[in-house]
Amino acid sequence: MALLEVRDLGLAIAAGGRLLPVVRGISFAVEENETLGIVGESGCGKSLTALAIMGLLEDTAIRITGGSIRFEGRELLTMAPAERRALMGNRMAIVFQEPMTSLNPVYRVGDQIVEVLRQHRDLSTSEARERTLRLLEMVQVPEPEQRVHSYPHQLSGGQRQRVMIAMAIACDPRLLIADEPTTALDVTVQKEILELLQDLQKRMGSAIVLISHDLGVIAETCDRVAVMYRGTIVEEATAGELFANVAHPYTRGLLASIPPADRDVEWLEAIPGRVPAVDQEIPGCAFHPRCPFVRDLCRTARPEGRDFAPGHSIRCHFPREWRT
Amino acid sequence: MLGYALDRLLTLVPTLLAASLLVFLFVRLIPGDPAAILLGDAATPEQVAALTRELGLDQPLWKQYFLWLGNILEGDFGTSIFFGKPVLAVIADSAETSILLAVTTMGWIVLIGVPIGILAAVRQGSWIDQATSGLAMLMASVPTFWLGLYFILVFAVGLGWFPSSGFPSITGEGGLLNLRYLVLPSLTLAAPNAALIIRLVRASMLDVSREDHVRTARAKGLHPLRVAIKHIFRNALIAVAGAFGFTFAALVSEAVVTETVFSLPGVGRLVVQSILRRDYPVIQGVILIVVVFYMFVNLLVDLAYARLDPRVSLK
Amino acid sequence: MNGLISVLRSVRERRLATIGLIWLALVCIAALGAPLLAPFDPLDFDPLARLAEPGWPHLFGTDHFGRDTLSRAIYGARMAVLIGTGSVFVALVVGGIVGMLSAYFTKLGHLLMRAVDVLMAFPALLLALVLMTLLERSVVNTIIVIGTVYATTTARILFGMTLKLKGEVFVEAAICSGAGHASVLFRHILPNLVSPLLVQASFIFAFAQLQAAALDFLGLGLPPEVPSWGNMLSEERIYITRAPWLLIFPGTLIILTVFSMNLLGDAMRDSIDPRFRKDVKGV
Repeated sequence: MALLEVRDLGLAIAAGGRLLPVVRGISFAVEENETLGIVGESGCGKSLTALAIMGLLEDTAIRITGGSIRFEGRELLTMAPAERRALMGNRMAIVFQEPMTSLNPVYRVGDQIVEVLRQHRDLSTSEARERTLRLLEMVQVPEPEQRVHSYPHQLSGGQRQRVMIAMAIACDPRLLIADEPTTALDVTVQKEILELLQDLQKRMGSAIVLISHDLGVIAETCDRVAVMYRGTIVEEATAGELFANVAHPYTRGLLASIPPADRDVEWLEAIPGRVPAVDQEIPGCAFHPRCPFVRDLCRTARPEGRDFAPGHSIRCHFPREWRT
Repeated sequence: MLGYALDRLLTLVPTLLAASLLVFLFVRLIPGDPAAILLGDAATPEQVAALTRELGLDQPLWKQYFLWLGNILEGDFGTSIFFGKPVLAVIADSAETSILLAVTTMGWIVLIGVPIGILAAVRQGSWIDQATSGLAMLMASVPTFWLGLYFILVFAVGLGWFPSSGFPSITGEGGLLNLRYLVLPSLTLAAPNAALIIRLVRASMLDVSREDHVRTARAKGLHPLRVAIKHIFRNALIAVAGAFGFTFAALVSEAVVTETVFSLPGVGRLVVQSILRRDYPVIQGVILIVVVFYMFVNLLVDLAYARLDPRVSLK
Repeated sequence: MNGLISVLRSVRERRLATIGLIWLALVCIAALGAPLLAPFDPLDFDPLARLAEPGWPHLFGTDHFGRDTLSRAIYGARMAVLIGTGSVFVALVVGGIVGMLSAYFTKLGHLLMRAVDVLMAFPALLLALVLMTLLERSVVNTIIVIGTVYATTTARILFGMTLKLKGEVFVEAAICSGAGHASVLFRHILPNLVSPLLVQASFIFAFAQLQAAALDFLGLGLPPEVPSWGNMLSEERIYITRAPWLLIFPGTLIILTVFSMNLLGDAMRDSIDPRFRKDVKGV
């Protein structure tokens, strides 16, 4: 049994009395000890999927229109709110993209970590403080004894993200979702944070869902990769298989837009066009207006998911078209 | 903290001087001989001549101002025409009522405004929210004296729960029980102000609830009420604290109408009666003291900001 | 102009605000057509019909002089509209000019805004009382006093809003392309401020009603013989039990008018430029 199993999850934005689908029935599973990367351009629904798993879509304009999310064998979507809250921050936790604004500005960072510990663990204040110090050491915040007393605005972006990670791993979650954890950070800090996440995973044996728009980030850290486009997973495979044997033209476009590390290039091949607006109806394959290899069939028929190779699924009528 | 407070105090000095100049000029703007105006109609020519000398009215205006300011700083605000007592003593007599009225009113404002505002924000969009928001706006649209008159009619005359007018000092007979005289006036005065606080608390909380750190708090698995109070309201308080201070500072003068309705011997009623009696020394003194109090409270609000928001540096 | 249209549309979308607008229209009609609509002369004493209960011919009864309450209330609408629009006019023109010029001409602004600070060191009602002491009780003076009190807040608000716009690209572009000061202020900056000003105006109108009523009540507002809602309440307050209609009726008129204006302002505020939404001071 997988740790997390998402089946046919559908999400929609309620706007002006209409429901505009943003995630159109996606399915994936995450095993213990595994890192799954979800990659796609902004607006593809990857962050909303993360919020749906965490149970953070309440009081937003996003509605869950169908499907199921099972965590440790239990269905989350029908769970009582109190039961669900007992999991949040405890068995499953999330690190957000914006370290600058994701911490409460009026409380000391130490107290913010203590809060989540006291919520889920039966600890005295001093025990929680002790554990907080160890957590800050684990995420490699320098001088943790001083830093626990700092307010968020007194820390750098990278340090704040480390605090966010400390907060997320405080209760040893089995599942850690990292939603663009490095996007807002400097390149050097990015690398450190990614290494930290990998290191923590090895030590805690939990599963990580890493969400990013940057296939380069995903390539370095993930065991398996799901590529999302306009609310569907268009390609999914182990990282090795995917990079060796990329089959979907969209994934190829994403790959081509990673700057190579070993040499300077003057021109990056990017995907032409832009992500279509949510309320725009696209017949056939959702990617066809931007696909360089589009054929007539793509304009009319929606491709079904199928196996391209063992453990490598794809949603495309003409995979690896550029070969022929 | 202390350094910052002193610093802010210093920046207030020019404003305070300018305000005192206006208060000083105020009597000079009334047509006629200032000495005669300050002494009232019953004054003898000898008294007028004496005061003219004392105030230096034969000297240039700027000298008169500094003479006047010097007297004020020594605690000499002049003599009331009506009471024949030093102005400062007259004001001191009404200070107890004003301060107690302002404090009890503030209590109601916090007690009514904060929980209802939080409730409306937590239940945003529900009928509770719409009802409280509408009711708050209605409350802010009622003339205070009209509300006060009906409070008297219902709760004092009709039900006999509270006295309808006056306020015997709590140091005299009756002691603290005399505070029941302030129940209706403070509720009257609180109504429109609580309405504003309800709307402000609601709006500020909705602003804060859109911030990222609230999502982090929810992701910790905290109870929604804990998120609402410890995380959202605590941040909204930064915006609301200013309004609390501002409201409190303004209460002393806003109480003018309420004190008149309930015949309370407070500073507000003293101003109105002094205006109607043309007791200019008292008017001058009260205005000056109210302005100083008003600015002082606003200074305290600034200091409170620094305590509430760690991002505000005291440098 | 588009901003203005969207502001007006937002009023239509809110049922309560629409009802408020209808009520305000009725008040305006009563104000304009008072001599035609009022069944009696509002100042005519009828010693035989003192404190008459609502009925015929005095639909809303009479006061202790035997004056017709309905007719006085209709003429009172005239005072309400006059005081309201007059105060709004004074506040917006004086406060607007001071605020905009202060933000635009920095050196002058420093001086002017300090002066505004000094005036704002006086609590609003106290400032009104002080000014009224210096002036005769009259309609014009009441307008000047209330208008001046709100001119200070308006100046500060406009100062802030103009400052924000001054940094905008289109204003800088206008300055660079050699537009004169007047042209920049009135053709480029002011049009963007029309909608927030309209919202501010509705709140000032509402506050002015309450302030005027309070001044009337304290005996420092309109001359006692002027039929205003505040004077009606002030004069007849001792009859609160013997002739309750004398207080319920004008009181309700004030509440409805202020409430309507507040609703209107609130509805319009939601549709103005979000940058200015917090600047506007209101309920």
